[in-house]
Amino acid sequence: MNSEPSLLDEVPGELMMWVLIISELLVFGAGLAVFLSIRLTDPVLFAESQDHLHRTGAALNTIVLVTSGFLAARALGWRRAAERTKARLALIGAATLGVVFLIIKGFEYADKADLGIGPETNVFFTFYYLLTGFHAAHVVAGVLILLLVAWKDDARNIETGAQFWHMVDLVWVILFPVVYLLG
Amino acid sequence: MHTLTKAWFWLIALSGGSAVVAMLVGQGMDRRLAGAAIMALALMKSRTILSRYLDLAEAPSLRRGFNLVLSFYFVLLLVLYLAGSARL
Repeated sequence: MNSEPSLLDEVPGELMMWVLIISELLVFGAGLAVFLSIRLTDPVLFAESQDHLHRTGAALNTIVLVTSGFLAARALGWRRAAERTKARLALIGAATLGVVFLIIKGFEYADKADLGIGPETNVFFTFYYLLTGFHAAHVVAGVLILLLVAWKDDARNIETGAQFWHMVDLVWVILFPVVYLLG
Repeated sequence: MHTLTKAWFWLIALSGGSAVVAMLVGQGMDRRLAGAAIMALALMKSRTILSRYLDLAEAPSLRRGFNLVLSFYFVLLLVLYLAGSARL
């Protein structure tokens, strides 16, 4: 007996990775909504605090992450076409750009520390460090996963690793404008 | 040109658009208008990543669902932003 194809049959890649992606989007989504809700209580403080952020560095990091995501996505196509070396190089390139992201983020945090700004400075910076720090932790995990799937380069592994990395990318393109640009 | 390469160029262009809007705020552009433009550009970036990098283009029903929820979420963020900006 033939059954109707389920919506879940359409899911590209690993279903459990989509569960993780949706969970992460909900966590970051709630965090950003709370951030903008607290801004309602003191928008002047938020605007002044935001002026201390390094918008150019964060914009550069957007370019770095979307380029890294591009390489991870291309790696999967190359692996499926049995071009293993190209796929591995693309994954290593994607991981390297992840490290570049973290270095730029490190400079940003160091700059804040030099100005005496920390998570306890005010509520804006509490959320700034919470959201960007949690995201940076995902970047660290993503870099390790990309290197792992470059080593264990089965197409299914690469697809799963790339899905995680695109989730990190997706979170950043939502987080960046809310935290850095909406002053 | 490969679909992923087109998506990458599109994402770079949208990121450039956000940077331009952010710079225009410094030159006197209305912050609320700029905020709306920045959120619209971010929504387009998110949809591109879902569609092309995460391959939801191959799953049209799921893509529609994700896009709908994401669009509502961006509207919520924009409303919160505009409400806060009204108090500036």
